[in-house]
Amino acid sequence: MAQAESSAASNFETDFWKDAKLRKVWDEIVPGEARKTLPYKLTQEAIALYCRSVGETNPLYLDEAAAKAGPYGGLIAPPSIHILLMFACTPADDWMRSPGTVNAGQSWSYNIPARPGDTITLQARALDKFIKRERLFVVHDNVFFNQHGDVICSGRGQTIRPM
Amino acid sequence: MTTVNFDQLKAGDTIDGAAFAVSRESIRLFCDASLDYNPLHLDDDYMKNSFGKTNFGGIIMHGMNNFGLISRMLTDWAMPAGAIHRRLETRWLKPVKPGDTIRPAGTIKAKQVTSKSRWVLVDVAVQNQRDETVAAGEAMLEFPAKAS
Repeated sequence: MAQAESSAASNFETDFWKDAKLRKVWDEIVPGEARKTLPYKLTQEAIALYCRSVGETNPLYLDEAAAKAGPYGGLIAPPSIHILLMFACTPADDWMRSPGTVNAGQSWSYNIPARPGDTITLQARALDKFIKRERLFVVHDNVFFNQHGDVICSGRGQTIRPM
Repeated sequence: MTTVNFDQLKAGDTIDGAAFAVSRESIRLFCDASLDYNPLHLDDDYMKNSFGKTNFGGIIMHGMNNFGLISRMLTDWAMPAGAIHRRLETRWLKPVKPGDTIRPAGTIKAKQVTSKSRWVLVDVAVQNQRDETVAAGEAMLEFPAKAS
């Protein structure tokens, strides 16, 4: 694939301070404006690591033979894999990575499961911003798609921006 | 766990999730699994600062770790019944810190039959070892109507 595609955590910048100055602060975030996103190839290894971090043991996510005999005819990712996809599908200068960003709550709707081997794309934007009790809020909305253009899940969240 | 049946479910029925022990290691593992390396979850020195009017006093667990535990509880409950986890909304009420033990739980709020399917609405919450609610929200599960 000609387009740069992140497929592993190995090239992921884990120091969120490094590009901090490139990221938009609350004042600069324009509701309605699309965020830059990156396609991401979801691997079985990434799914297994995510499962381990939240104690998921469902064979549909982890056991290829059992998953093949199951309702999806193969391995799938748990619905909440969008937690990983949010960071996997955004570049280092995305404002979701600003140190001190506090998650205030989220809502997600699930259509079809992501699967290992899927190339996931994200359409995302800030939808709204407001000030409440001296805190700076941004509302973001997001839709994840697979390589066939099918919606995997869609979600909305609020973060409190660092000051 | 007995498999749930849409017709027998009623408001007030409960769903029990597994306890989850939060540690510096579990938080670090969640960083690696989610790629969310916000210093809120990593850097004790940074966490000596105040955030607006809030001082957490040390690193905190990712709010989305709660979300993942609730989602796991719901799918473990729904999948054996052929039901599908369709929606989850949560808000974070209190920070969770290393040393805490948290546990998600759900309570059936309502059932709804629509023109093409059947739905169960669930109130969800996560509590810590002091019985404080650290996260709360609502979920929606679909019980597809049986083909007949």
